[in-house]
Amino acid sequence: MNNSIKLLFAALAVLAAASCAKTDNYAAPNSTFQGNFIDSVTGQNLLTETGGAQLMLKQLSWSSTPDPYYIPAKPDGSFEDTRIFSGNYSVIPTQGAFWPTDSIVKQISGNTTVNFTVTPYLEITNFNHTQDADSLVMTCQLSAPRTDGLPEILEIWPFVNSTEYVGSGAYISNFTISDQSNGSYNLAPINTTWNATIAATTYKCVVHGLIAGRTYYARLGVRVNDSYKKYNFSPVIEVDVPTK
Amino acid sequence: MKQLKYIIAIAAAYFLASCHKLNVPPLNIISEDQVFSSANGVQAYLANIYTFLPMEDFVYEPNGGFMTGNGGRWQCFYQMDAIDGEMAGPYGGTGDAAQGFGFWPYDRIRVINILLADLPKYANLYSQAQLNEWLGEAYFCRAYTYFALVKRYGGVPIVNTVADPNATPASLQVPRDKEEDVYNFIGSDFDSAYALMWAPGVAGNPGIQLGAANKYAAMAYKSRAMLFAATIAKYGAANYVDGPARAAGFVGIPAADANKFFQASYDAAKLVEGNFSLYTGGYPDKVQNYVDLFLKPNNEWIFIRQYTLSDPNVNNDNAGPHSWDATMTCRIMTGDGLSRTYPDLDYVERYGSLPIVNADGTPTRFNNLSDITIGLEPRLQGTIYFTGNTLRGVTFDQQRGIYKTFTGSAAQELSDNLNSPNDVYAQYPDTNSSANLIFASDPNSTYRNHRVIGRAGFNPSTGDDNTRTGFYLRKYVNYNAAASACGLYQSTQSYVDMRYAEVLLNRAEAAYELGMTGDALADINQIRDRAGAVEATASMTLDTIRNERDKELGFEHQYWWDIRRWRIADQVLDNRKLYGLMPYYIATENKYIFIKQIETFQRTYTFQKLWYYEPLPGGELGKNPNLYPNNPGY
Repeated sequence: MNNSIKLLFAALAVLAAASCAKTDNYAAPNSTFQGNFIDSVTGQNLLTETGGAQLMLKQLSWSSTPDPYYIPAKPDGSFEDTRIFSGNYSVIPTQGAFWPTDSIVKQISGNTTVNFTVTPYLEITNFNHTQDADSLVMTCQLSAPRTDGLPEILEIWPFVNSTEYVGSGAYISNFTISDQSNGSYNLAPINTTWNATIAATTYKCVVHGLIAGRTYYARLGVRVNDSYKKYNFSPVIEVDVPTK
Repeated sequence: MKQLKYIIAIAAAYFLASCHKLNVPPLNIISEDQVFSSANGVQAYLANIYTFLPMEDFVYEPNGGFMTGNGGRWQCFYQMDAIDGEMAGPYGGTGDAAQGFGFWPYDRIRVINILLADLPKYANLYSQAQLNEWLGEAYFCRAYTYFALVKRYGGVPIVNTVADPNATPASLQVPRDKEEDVYNFIGSDFDSAYALMWAPGVAGNPGIQLGAANKYAAMAYKSRAMLFAATIAKYGAANYVDGPARAAGFVGIPAADANKFFQASYDAAKLVEGNFSLYTGGYPDKVQNYVDLFLKPNNEWIFIRQYTLSDPNVNNDNAGPHSWDATMTCRIMTGDGLSRTYPDLDYVERYGSLPIVNADGTPTRFNNLSDITIGLEPRLQGTIYFTGNTLRGVTFDQQRGIYKTFTGSAAQELSDNLNSPNDVYAQYPDTNSSANLIFASDPNSTYRNHRVIGRAGFNPSTGDDNTRTGFYLRKYVNYNAAASACGLYQSTQSYVDMRYAEVLLNRAEAAYELGMTGDALADINQIRDRAGAVEATASMTLDTIRNERDKELGFEHQYWWDIRRWRIADQVLDNRKLYGLMPYYIATENKYIFIKQIETFQRTYTFQKLWYYEPLPGGELGKNPNLYPNNPGY
């Protein structure tokens, strides 16, 4: 009995090894598509977060109704996909805090680099912070590259995290929720369309409860009530809370 | 030679038998005329349609579907209200289930279309009334199924004939219809059902058959569907994601048509009046009355799904028993299973804030955990199990921990994280002198002869097997069943998919939107009276009506669709944390306090605007290019 089972396993092993003789003769997705989301105002990379914007690609080589394929933005405003099929693609930046743009058609093969210039809904300017004991105060002003048709501006959020990856998808909520007992947030609410008052206002967000001796990373994010409600961010600051 | 004779005879027999043509009726397939030529056949055919009706019942999972033939259908905690902020449940967030499960029931629509097309051929076998009743049921089921489609995808192809599978592929690739046209089609099917079916229990007609549709059920559902269309027209015009599908009308309804749909909803709801009523059979105890409304067959039930223990196909159809009792309360009250989803404080606060904080900000002291329910609205008590309630002889004793002493306000306690003397905390048995707040992982741990945590929660070592919010759901929990009868696949209480309270709420909302505030007020106050609530006044607003709906229909898988059709989901679920009511014992005072805190898993719920419509299933788009463009954002 034992022997016959052994024999069966041996036969199985031989058959299994011999069974997969065919090779996939289609080229692997071996092209690279990379580049940056460029802020049209600053000329620098868009201040965003992981997944804070997407590139939507449609491969035109095969079908008139291709399934969309997305490449998310990295925290530094760049994007990179090192495993993409060579081909002819329509590409459009989308699902980010910027004005809609037109798509481009791009032949992707080998190592293709494209920068996409986008116009952010809002820029956070005059971003300053002060830190005192367990509190962090961040202030900023807002400017709008285009005001005509700008959706309602919702509010400014303070985001604090213990790593440099800080944004709406990665923050310690206890610092953003100002009072658990009534569920309130320490946001700077705006809730109106663009006007001169907004342009002239210095907004302030205060975060309490920082723990002595720790290092935090923080930034502000502002969003408008468009289809995706993503954030335009300030740069990330590093906050070292002194030991007591 | 003799043998040869026999051989010839046998051979002849073979020749005789061999010449049958092949077009004999097969014995293993039941043909259409066998089904439709007997009343039993038609009823069995209809029963099959009802079995697969896409009802979001006890076992429905928003990302798993209707769970027919699925061994996971015991997990009732994977439910819609665990993604919409009513309950803290097993989903990691709203996105886990917001894009659906690829629902595409055109096979079931075909089954219904066959009956509608072919049953009339057998009209001479039945009375006209009987034939019409069956056809009406089929129209009802078709509208019901299309409504399940349109509320997910917006416009879908309207198929109301039986397609020939041998037709050319191009003719079978039916294009999408506009969202508005699908709602109109649904309305007209419900109208057909209403017109064809008899008035139950009147003029010698049979009475209502539980589990089957009836004339007035068609109008009840029409009021629901038309209200969806109306609010999508009105609120979707302002809050939408743009795209080619919207431009073509496949999603979105012109705002100008909102009132037409509000009126249709109102008119349909009004036709139900007088044929069903709010359950009051358990008076004068309004708490018990509200509990029993979901457990005892009564005249508020308009359309239900029944379950039976004797169904041998526990997993293969929807009629087998479910597991609500085993999965809604914790293991100390049940025979098997576990609970993983809990009502949150946000639901409770729809009734107003609980009296847990004094005017000076300090937490109110309670002598007993059960004192929290004193003075609460009967409907709220009938919906939620609070601390101090009992079920099957076991008390809900959830307690988060013990404060040795407590000074100051709850707000201070929570805001100065780790920086106030109150919450220097320790895990039992490390109850050293510097620790003031004690937690434990064993309900048998005691501090000064008092349990540190309750058996019903909060025990961090058991994950989410006991409450994360301080509450358990009471609605539909069968308190009459013994704990030993509360195991997996042992519950058979019916699911009430449509009850008269919803019809009144549909009517109130439609009436208010149309400016008939008097009618709306009367509807709301019928609900409030039964609920044991304070009556509304003429100063009520649309928010009053919506909040009343959320209270009355809470945990009935409606809230998700309501915040979608009101187009407020992206505001209601916006980096949203769910809150709980955490009970603590203060040792030095021998009192209890309740603190409003984020539920123990601290999950975040966010609704993206593109989820106001689900994406069309990829497989269907591959088969039928006429379904493009897909919904905006996908």
